[in-house]
Amino acid sequence: MAKKKQTAQQPYLVVGQIVAPHGIRGEVKVEVMSDNPERFKAGAELYLSSTPEGADARPVRLATSRPHQNRMLVRLATTPDRNAAETLRGLYLLIPEADAMALGEHENFVHDLIGLRVETTAGEALGKIVEIVFTPANDVYVARGEAGEVLLPATREVVRSVDLAARTMVVELPEGLREPAEPDDADDEQAADAGADEPAAA
Amino acid sequence: MSRSLKKGPFVQAKLLKKVEAMNRTGKKAVIKTWSRASTVFPQMVGHTIAIHDGRRHVPIYIAENMVGHRLGEFAPTRFFRGHVRTEKRSAR
Repeated sequence: MAKKKQTAQQPYLVVGQIVAPHGIRGEVKVEVMSDNPERFKAGAELYLSSTPEGADARPVRLATSRPHQNRMLVRLATTPDRNAAETLRGLYLLIPEADAMALGEHENFVHDLIGLRVETTAGEALGKIVEIVFTPANDVYVARGEAGEVLLPATREVVRSVDLAARTMVVELPEGLREPAEPDDADDEQAADAGADEPAAA
Repeated sequence: MSRSLKKGPFVQAKLLKKVEAMNRTGKKAVIKTWSRASTVFPQMVGHTIAIHDGRRHVPIYIAENMVGHRLGEFAPTRFFRGHVRTEKRSAR
């Protein structure tokens, strides 16, 4: 019987990138790229690699971790001092894709949404999702196609369905989203903003 | 120094007029605005306002907990664009 071809490399997801060493006890600053708050708990097992795809991924265990200025300070079990921590600069921390956090009903991973074909409920193609803008309110999906760019608020009223298998998203375009703003609005509103704190003329 | 209470919160008059007109008719449409300094008023809750970020209008759905903040707080002007597959999610 012919030998089975070796399976493709295990797919990984990036959960953080080591930015720099911190202090002299082997801690490193990690830029967090995960929405899972449990991901960097002490004792967690992650993979360390020089590429985001995990070409040379090797398992590592977190000895300690603590939050620090929007980042995490982490000490790996294998880095007892700063000299060892210096060698980790720029490396990626990964998890196998199969270990990714569970998602809710109306949630998707960003990498799954990028590249989806977008069409309206009327069947009009708007292009593909090329970018997601994260705001303190709702996320915004940027669809780019032949007709240009459309920014779609990621709300349930607008995004009607997401089919990852078919790589499509169906949206209900709200009225006024693609219409150009009134030409005099920009000048009027900028002038009003500039004079917002000035007393009214006598 | 904070803004005088006598004046009340700032909102661009033209913007508030559009919102109130839609509230009267019960119509829902996206309003495009450059007025990042305008305060979110309770009348705006439930509407989608496309706020200019210096380059394009970012559509933001106004929720109750946004009242009292400025519109500009919800349309960031700088972005970090990553290129790697991460464990980040987007919720609707």
